[in-house]
Amino acid sequence: MISSLVLSLKVLAVDVPLLLAIGTSLGWLLARRNFRGKEALSLLILLPVVLPPSVLGLYLLMLLGRLSFMRELGLLFSFPAAVMAPLFPSLPIMVQSARSGFASVDVGLEDAARTLGDGEFMVFWRVSFPIAKRFLMAGLALASARALGDFGVTLMIAGNIPGRTQTLPLYIYSRVESLDFAGANIAAILLTGVGVMSLWLVRRMEGAHGGAS
Amino acid sequence: MEERLNARFLKKLGSFRLDVTLTLGTEIGVIFGPSGAGKSQTLRALAGLSKPDEGYIKLNGRILADASKKISVPPKDRRIGLVFQELSLFPHLTALENVAYGLKCSDRLEVAAEWLHMVRLDGLSDRYPHQLSGGQRQRVALARALAPEPDLLLLDEPFNALDGPVRRALRRELKWLFNKTKTPIIYVTHDIEDVCSMADRVFFIRDGELAASISVQSLWDPSVQGAIWHSLGWGTLIHGVIEERSGLCWIVWDGGRLALRPTVRVEGDVTAFVAPHHVKLLYPNLSVDPELEDNVIEGVVAERVVLGGTTRLFVRACNLQWQVEFLNESYATMELSEGQRVRMAVRPGCIYVLGSASNSCTLGSCMETQFEQERSTPFSALDEKGETAYEGEDLDHRGSLRASPLARSHSDRRE
Repeated sequence: MISSLVLSLKVLAVDVPLLLAIGTSLGWLLARRNFRGKEALSLLILLPVVLPPSVLGLYLLMLLGRLSFMRELGLLFSFPAAVMAPLFPSLPIMVQSARSGFASVDVGLEDAARTLGDGEFMVFWRVSFPIAKRFLMAGLALASARALGDFGVTLMIAGNIPGRTQTLPLYIYSRVESLDFAGANIAAILLTGVGVMSLWLVRRMEGAHGGAS
Repeated sequence: MEERLNARFLKKLGSFRLDVTLTLGTEIGVIFGPSGAGKSQTLRALAGLSKPDEGYIKLNGRILADASKKISVPPKDRRIGLVFQELSLFPHLTALENVAYGLKCSDRLEVAAEWLHMVRLDGLSDRYPHQLSGGQRQRVALARALAPEPDLLLLDEPFNALDGPVRRALRRELKWLFNKTKTPIIYVTHDIEDVCSMADRVFFIRDGELAASISVQSLWDPSVQGAIWHSLGWGTLIHGVIEERSGLCWIVWDGGRLALRPTVRVEGDVTAFVAPHHVKLLYPNLSVDPELEDNVIEGVVAERVVLGGTTRLFVRACNLQWQVEFLNESYATMELSEGQRVRMAVRPGCIYVLGSASNSCTLGSCMETQFEQERSTPFSALDEKGETAYEGEDLDHRGSLRASPLARSHSDRRE
C-alpha cells in the first residue's frame, strides 16, 4: 500500500508539470494560432477521451514495443512507462480547459500589451496567462485527478509490478483479486478523497472567476 | 511646422480598401468620418497591429513600415501609444499596475504614480478597472498609453461611452496633456464637437479613403470649406443666408429655414453642417419639444440604407437631401420605407455654421443629445421634456406645427 502510494505520488510529481506545460502550450496554440491541420490536431488530442483505455494502451504498446529504436529505450513495464501512461487520457482535459481559457482572453488586451512594448512571449506571460489562469488551474485539477486514477493504460504499457509500476488504482485491483477488501477500501477512500478535492478546487476556481472580472 | 509622422499606405481587408495619406507635425490631428469608414483600421496599421499591403509609415525619420522593402517594425518597438475604443485595461491589474505596464525603468511604480497624479486619480491606484467609473477608466487608459513617453499617441473614439460633462472635462485634460508632453496625437471620431474643440488639423475619411487634410482654421474658411465638406459626403450641408427675425437667428435658404443658437454672430452667406445623427425623426402622434418647434421639417424618404448597427435615411425636404442616422432598433414602430412622409427636427445647437470658428466651436446644448446616449433612450430629448408638454397641449399637433413658420409654409404648400 505505502509503496503504491509513494509510486502514485512520484508519477503525479512528474505528470502535473508536464500536463501544465504541454496542455497550456497546445491550448494556446489551438486558441490563438491558425495553421494547417489545426482541426486534425485538435481531434487527435481529443481521441483518448472516446477510445477505451485498453485500446489506447494497445496502440502505445505497439508503438513502444514494435519500433526498434523505441524498444531499445526500454520504456515498457518500467517507471517511465507508468509516468507516460496517465498523460494520454488526462491531456485532453487540460488542453480543452486551456483552449477555452485562452479563447476567453480579449484579443484587444493582448494588442494593448503589444503597443505597450511587449513581445509575443511577454504578452503571453503578463496578460494571456494570468487572465486565463483560473481556467488552467481548474483544468489542471481535473486532469491531475484523472492521471492519478489511471488504470487501463498503465496496466497495458507499465504492467502491475509491485514496487515498480503498481500505482494505487492497480493496487486496489490486486487487493480485490486476492479478496483483501479491507486493503482495497483504504486505497479507494484515499482516491475518492483526492477526486472530491479536485472537484471542489475546480468549483472554487470557476466561482472566483465570475466574481473577479 | 516640423513633420513628425508621414504615412502613405494601402491595405485590403476583404472587399474593403483602405487608402491613407497623412502627415502630422507636433499637433493634434483628428480623423473625422462616419462609422465604418476605416478610422480604426488606420490606427491599427499605424500602431503595427496590422501590416499595410503597400506604402510606408515614417515617424520622426524612423521607418516603421515599408512594404516594398518588406519592413514592418513590430508594435512593441514602434513607440506609438494607442488608447482603444473599449479601453482594454488589464482586468487582473490595479490602476497603478496598468499605468506601469509599459514602463521598463526600475522606479516604474513611482513614475506610474506620477502619471496617476497627472490625470487626477490620486488615491485610486489600488483599484481594479471594474471598480472605477467610466471617466476614471478613461484616464487610466490615457495615462497608461502616455507613461512610456511614446512618439505618437493614437486615440480611437475614446470618449464615446461617456456623457457630456465628462467628455468635455476629458477633452480639456487631453489638450492640457498635449501641451505638456508635446506628443503628437491622432484622434479618431465621428463627432464634430471633438473636431472643433481639440483639433489643429483634420483628416477626412470616407469609404476607406483618407487624403484631404486641412488645418482647423481653414475648416471655417468659406472659400475652401464647401469642397471639403462635400468630399466628406456625410451629413447635410445647407447653403443659406443668416437673418435675424423675431429675436431669433435663422439660416434661410431657397426652400426653408432653421433657427440657430442665439450666440451665432455671423452675417451674410454661410454654409452650415448638420451631422446625420443630429437629425431626429418625430413620432407622428407625440407633441414636439418646445426647443425643437421652430426646426420641424417635413419630407419624403428617398432612400434607406442599413450599415452595420445603424440605419441611414436620405430624406428629401426643403429642397435639400437630408441624411438621418439612427441605431437600427430605434423608431421600430415607425413606417420608414422609401416614399414615406416623415417629420424631423434639428436642435438649434446642432447646426454648425461653418465659417465662424469662434461661434461654431462653443460647446453647446448638443452635447446632451449625443448619438451614443440614445442607446438607452431612443429619443431622450422628447421623453424628458415631452412629459410636461403633454398635459396642456395634448394631441394639439396643429398648435405646435403652427408655431413653426417653416412647418406652416410646408403644410400650406401641401394644401
